[in-house]
Amino acid sequence: MMPITRAPAGEGAPAQPRTLAAPRPTSALAFLAIAALLGLGCWAVLDLRINIATLIDSGRNAAEFAGRMFPLDFPGTGELLRLTGQTLAIVVCATLLSVLLSVPIAVLAASNTTPNRTSRYTSRGLIVVARAVPDVVLAIIFFRVFGLGALTGVLAMGLHSVGMVGKLYADAIEQIDEGPRQAVRAGGASRLQELTSGVLPQVLPAFVAHALHRFDINLRISVVLGFVGVNGLGHEIATAFRQLDYQRGMALALVVLVLCIVIELLSGAIRRALLRSTDRGRRSVSSVPSQRGARSEQRLSPRWTFQRIRRAGYLVLTGLVVLASIWGAELSVGQFFGALGDLGSTLGLFWPPETGGMLPTLLADLWVTVKIALAGTLIGAVLALPIGALAARNVAPRASVAKVFRTIVVTVRGLPELVLAIVFVVITGLGPVAGACALGVGAIGLLGKLVADSLEEVDPGKEQAVRATGASAWQVFCSATVPQAAPAFVGHLLYQLDVNIRSATLLGIVGAGGIGFQLLNASRVLEFGVVTTVMLLVFGTVLVVELLALWLRSVLR
Amino acid sequence: MTVSQFPDPKSGAVTIRFSDVSKHFPPDVVALNDVSFDVRAGEVVVLLGHSGSGKSTLLRQVDGLQRASSGTVSVLGADVGSMRGARARALRRRVGFVFQQFELVGGLTVLENVCTGALGRLRGPRLGLLSYPRSVRREALGQLERVGLAAQAFQRADTLSGGQQQRAAVARALVQRPEILLADEPVASLDPESAAQVMRLIREISVEQGLTVLCSLHQLDLALSWGDRIIGLRSGEVVLDAPSVGLSRESAMEVYTQPAMRSVLTAAG
Repeated sequence: MMPITRAPAGEGAPAQPRTLAAPRPTSALAFLAIAALLGLGCWAVLDLRINIATLIDSGRNAAEFAGRMFPLDFPGTGELLRLTGQTLAIVVCATLLSVLLSVPIAVLAASNTTPNRTSRYTSRGLIVVARAVPDVVLAIIFFRVFGLGALTGVLAMGLHSVGMVGKLYADAIEQIDEGPRQAVRAGGASRLQELTSGVLPQVLPAFVAHALHRFDINLRISVVLGFVGVNGLGHEIATAFRQLDYQRGMALALVVLVLCIVIELLSGAIRRALLRSTDRGRRSVSSVPSQRGARSEQRLSPRWTFQRIRRAGYLVLTGLVVLASIWGAELSVGQFFGALGDLGSTLGLFWPPETGGMLPTLLADLWVTVKIALAGTLIGAVLALPIGALAARNVAPRASVAKVFRTIVVTVRGLPELVLAIVFVVITGLGPVAGACALGVGAIGLLGKLVADSLEEVDPGKEQAVRATGASAWQVFCSATVPQAAPAFVGHLLYQLDVNIRSATLLGIVGAGGIGFQLLNASRVLEFGVVTTVMLLVFGTVLVVELLALWLRSVLR
Repeated sequence: MTVSQFPDPKSGAVTIRFSDVSKHFPPDVVALNDVSFDVRAGEVVVLLGHSGSGKSTLLRQVDGLQRASSGTVSVLGADVGSMRGARARALRRRVGFVFQQFELVGGLTVLENVCTGALGRLRGPRLGLLSYPRSVRREALGQLERVGLAAQAFQRADTLSGGQQQRAAVARALVQRPEILLADEPVASLDPESAAQVMRLIREISVEQGLTVLCSLHQLDLALSWGDRIIGLRSGEVVLDAPSVGLSRESAMEVYTQPAMRSVLTAAG
């Protein structure tokens, strides 16, 4: 879903008549670029010595480590509940903050609701900046200002999430049906009324779905942020590993794993229920159930039907969860404003960027991070393409097969990359191999889903046409399904690479190789200028990949 | 149902006046070209013409959703072109608008959709049916009863049939307590039976409330049956302006034929 919406939102691009295009040199260049990326990926895999033999070799390590890991040492139930509650409270508050910030920003950023060009570009710019600054860096900054606690995590994740939530909200607003809104305006409504009565009802399901999606992501991120001073399960895991208490660390990682999967399944179910209910409404235009009409004539508010009770129940529940989270996270307005004064001087510590006399090391580590990302993406593609294909309903030989593979994809999506990285650090030892393997397996979750979705979105008419010639299922897949989805695949792969560069940085923090370790180190020894340099280096790399992706997508469309 | 189909010529005040109105869209589309006419209070005027002849553009001039490139449009005694912001909204409040695609918010209940008609006279944003005052909800329900949809008040708008949705849209316009009702191809997306139902409803309401109606239509038969007066548009120009009484099908059909074609027909006939 992301790569498609991330394309430059079709800003009034004129529809060009489709004719046979002459072969362009740019598309040849594009294929060359893709081939080069694939080559780099292969080289990275070889260079990092990721192969079956290495993995088997490291089996001994794993066995030895497992020995030190077991028996798992779970904290007491009370303590476990407290930690889980703390983590969830922080994540709820962070997601809430991002939604509260994203709604006005999205209204200003969407082409159809923005008052003018200036505010549109300003808010689009804010969204890009929010996405560009990694949450870990935000956490490092806020940790300096607010110390260990919920506020650091809430602000870091809340602000960073605006980059995704604000973007998706703005896209949702741009996709509304303008008709009802015009009808509201034609009735003499003010601008604000137009937004609340004409726009909001149309985008509300999407808003809630995106918020839930971000909630899942934030839950996984919060664990990583534990390593840089955000309270909760992640912090406890970081402390345990620092003290080489693997029994406690792995036990907590297992808790995180279960928590993530449960929350992912739960929010997935809610999202589907939301989207289904809007779908069903739209389809059954002709059905006219008359509901005890005679008596409803006197009523001015809807009857308490099961649906209304359920809806009200959800509302009350959401309210309670939010209140409990704000209370549980122990956010203090006083602390916030008290420390806000220090923010300026703290930010000053991060400027100017410094290298601490270790620029060659930083560059070498950046290169390792890029290699990890490339290798991780390639491994991910090899794993995710078949799994994603089998998860697509129109490709899988049987519906049950598709269901099984969808479940695999969802389950992997639930795995926090951090836990994956820890598992691979255990198996392969500290270093880049762990990072690449963790990213590769993790890619099944995102890339597998994107592949399955874009296969399911192909035009079934063309598949039918090939099937009608007597082609086998394989032939249909190769001649009709894949060619239609192929351009999307390229987009997804580049998106995964982009995500992986960020993730590879984060995983370095837990010892999976690359520049992330320098990030953590620099913040530990208070060399904040180096943190800035690392951030700029990573940002520059991500930017290059994004520009490449943008160009490739525009050429291959 | 006996609605006077051909009432006496109206002698009411002028409610809508177009004087030499032109509307250009860049780069070179002329949607309206020197259009002039008056509409009197209580008249039901039907705009006839091909798609692209300027009917929708003309209607959008009346409540200022679009503004004329030259000429003046005065509505209820005020110049629409000069109005902005709150004054434009105040005018829109007195002018109801019914659209071809109904334009209800699908996810909301029918009653809440109808209540949005009152937004113009309410202050501040409204979220959810219960945020509207009881009096507005009562009035909205009354209008739904008027259009025969009271039983569907608490259904989601997108579960209604096309004809029902359009009747709900009429109810929404009526909650505005309008003096003028504009309708842009209100029955183009409906089956013949629903189309007749909606046109009869609009006609009845006009008679009951002395409402001025300006309505664009595709179908000649509907135009002749429900309008007091027909204005024909071709390529943005008025080519016919006559009472529907005594207007023959043939002369009304001329709106749809090209000048060249017409001379051929005349020669042949």
